[in-house]
Amino acid sequence: MLAAIKNLYDYRELMAALAWRNMAVRYKQAYLGLAWAVLKPLMLVLIFSLVRSFVGIDSGDIPYPILTFAALMPWIFFQEAASEGVSSVVGNANLIRKIYFPREILPLASVVTKLVELGINFLILAGLMVYYHMSPTIYLLWVPLIIAYTILAVLCISMVGAAMNVYYRDVATALPVAFSLLMYASPVIYPLTLVKEKLLVNQAAGEWSNFLYTIYTLNPLAGIIDAFQHVVLRGTPPDISSMWPGMVLIIILLPISYVIFKRAESYFADVI
Amino acid sequence: MAIIEVNHVTKEYRLGALHGFKQTVHNTLARLRGHPVPERPLFKALDDVDFKVEEGEVLGIIGHNGAGKSTLLKMLANISVPTRGNVKVHGKVAPLIEVGAGLVGDLAGRENIYLNGAILGIPKTEIKRKFDEIVSFAELEEFIDTPIKRYSSGMKVRLGFAIATSADADILIVDEVLAVGDLAFQRKCFDRMEDMIKRQGKTVLLVSHNIRQVERLCTRVLMLDRGKIAEDGAPNIVCNKFLEQNNIKIKALHDRNVATSQIPSQEITLVGTDLLDDEGNITDKVKFLDPCRIRIALNVLKPLNNVTFYIGIHTTDFVYLTANNTAYHPVDLPTGRHEIELRLNSMTLLPGVYCFFLWVGTPEGRTSFREENISCFQVISSDYAISRQRDRAVTYIPGQWKLPGETRFIES
Repeated sequence: MLAAIKNLYDYRELMAALAWRNMAVRYKQAYLGLAWAVLKPLMLVLIFSLVRSFVGIDSGDIPYPILTFAALMPWIFFQEAASEGVSSVVGNANLIRKIYFPREILPLASVVTKLVELGINFLILAGLMVYYHMSPTIYLLWVPLIIAYTILAVLCISMVGAAMNVYYRDVATALPVAFSLLMYASPVIYPLTLVKEKLLVNQAAGEWSNFLYTIYTLNPLAGIIDAFQHVVLRGTPPDISSMWPGMVLIIILLPISYVIFKRAESYFADVI
Repeated sequence: MAIIEVNHVTKEYRLGALHGFKQTVHNTLARLRGHPVPERPLFKALDDVDFKVEEGEVLGIIGHNGAGKSTLLKMLANISVPTRGNVKVHGKVAPLIEVGAGLVGDLAGRENIYLNGAILGIPKTEIKRKFDEIVSFAELEEFIDTPIKRYSSGMKVRLGFAIATSADADILIVDEVLAVGDLAFQRKCFDRMEDMIKRQGKTVLLVSHNIRQVERLCTRVLMLDRGKIAEDGAPNIVCNKFLEQNNIKIKALHDRNVATSQIPSQEITLVGTDLLDDEGNITDKVKFLDPCRIRIALNVLKPLNNVTFYIGIHTTDFVYLTANNTAYHPVDLPTGRHEIELRLNSMTLLPGVYCFFLWVGTPEGRTSFREENISCFQVISSDYAISRQRDRAVTYIPGQWKLPGETRFIES
């Protein structure tokens, strides 16, 4: 484990260079450039707000637009870093076939790329907070930890996905479908408090309610999005009770994903 | 201690495509039920390859297409792993397997230098230090801030080569890179390679189809044939074997053509051609400077009067080299089978593949039969000093030299 991390440290320059390349290639000949990173969540906020005006989603004492924006930030980071990570190995086939480097650099570089875009979105978030007269609290210090946890969730998917994608390209094709389903299963459009209220307070599913809630929070994104909204908007510490099932899942899946990736790695050049 | 150890390496690939989903499910079910599943056949790209390279050695790897050269280099560069056996490399490897792998079209030359440097594992500080040198070597001062998708292919290759060779590695793995760019740049690359080898004492593995280059740069040459080491030894001996094998291949290719390129004649058909050594044994190889005989059997369909024969030798690309004729000895040929034989006193053609040509007709020029490529043969020599001349010359004239300080002529 330590050796693996040291090895990655030795290749940090490559990781940075590849992440920078990903950014440069995407935005070089685009007129709007980096603004795209911001436009996507803003558009979604706009659409969600419009939908909400029909169906009515209770956002509590926090204005709905900033609540969804704070949900979309970790969600888009997760979704894009994971899907880019899954296609990263196949997308760099020319490098895989010619040059040696630890292959996990590729999904990691995708994460770094998306981190930069996430950073840009923080500026918008700050703008929105000023607009809605919200002030940051000391709990903002949780943000790096939450992001680190999100990165682990991303790697769970992107490493095993990238390895499988080398053998079966179906993976990268199926992923967008899976992600759009996962988005509805995550508290992006609606806040987690609604789910909690339905299941834990009203016991909407009878004796199955508590169990269903645990299943729901098995999705790490549920805990991540909720925690993010807590520390940034509500000024309260993260709610661990909604996070632990997802954490357990990741602690189990991450080593498996890593081992599968490492096992498949040596055959990438032959199969790709 | 050996800097590279290749221990009984075998690499197998499965032939054919990956199974589709249906087939995979079907096979999995069959396997679960204990039924045998048809395996895709294996292809051995490398078969029990075993050798060591000492530090400072310059090893050339030659072989026909598909002999396993590139597969071997991939193992050494850690891009692919052997099916069996193992590879140990003690030192940093700079793979020049395909220069320019990882260049990104949308980025400028300058940005690509940093990116490609990082991909090749060159620290950023070092790239900064060597930046000007890279640019000037690639002769791209003017274009360094232009996106490289606007570069010509030569410019891209120059940039790739300049970056790749600035890596500070103990072992250089070079695959055919010198075969790129215009002649002037090839010269420059060659000089740079030679400098790295001769003055910096690096260990180099060089794969090339340019035998002359291999012979000049390498201290040892390995010849691969269908995944096995066919020869391993001094450059001149191995290169000679390779040229000979190469000629066998060319000959085989031409022999196939012979059967198909016959043009039917109304008067004479060719029955058979045999090449004989001086003892009269059928052969298809002639030793350089040895005598040989060609025997041709003909079937005459109409009686012919006053005909002469002309047997010549041409190269595989139809450059006519020799001509022997019987212009002063016309003969009459009744219908039926006839044999003619020509003895050549000394095969002064340089080692390579040649073909015979036959013409039959009257001294006035009326043609009864004319056929190129009637039989191919190979000239061989165990002396590489002779074999290597073939790409400059086709024939040899025996001669003697008088050198400075000598009073008598010596054999060349």
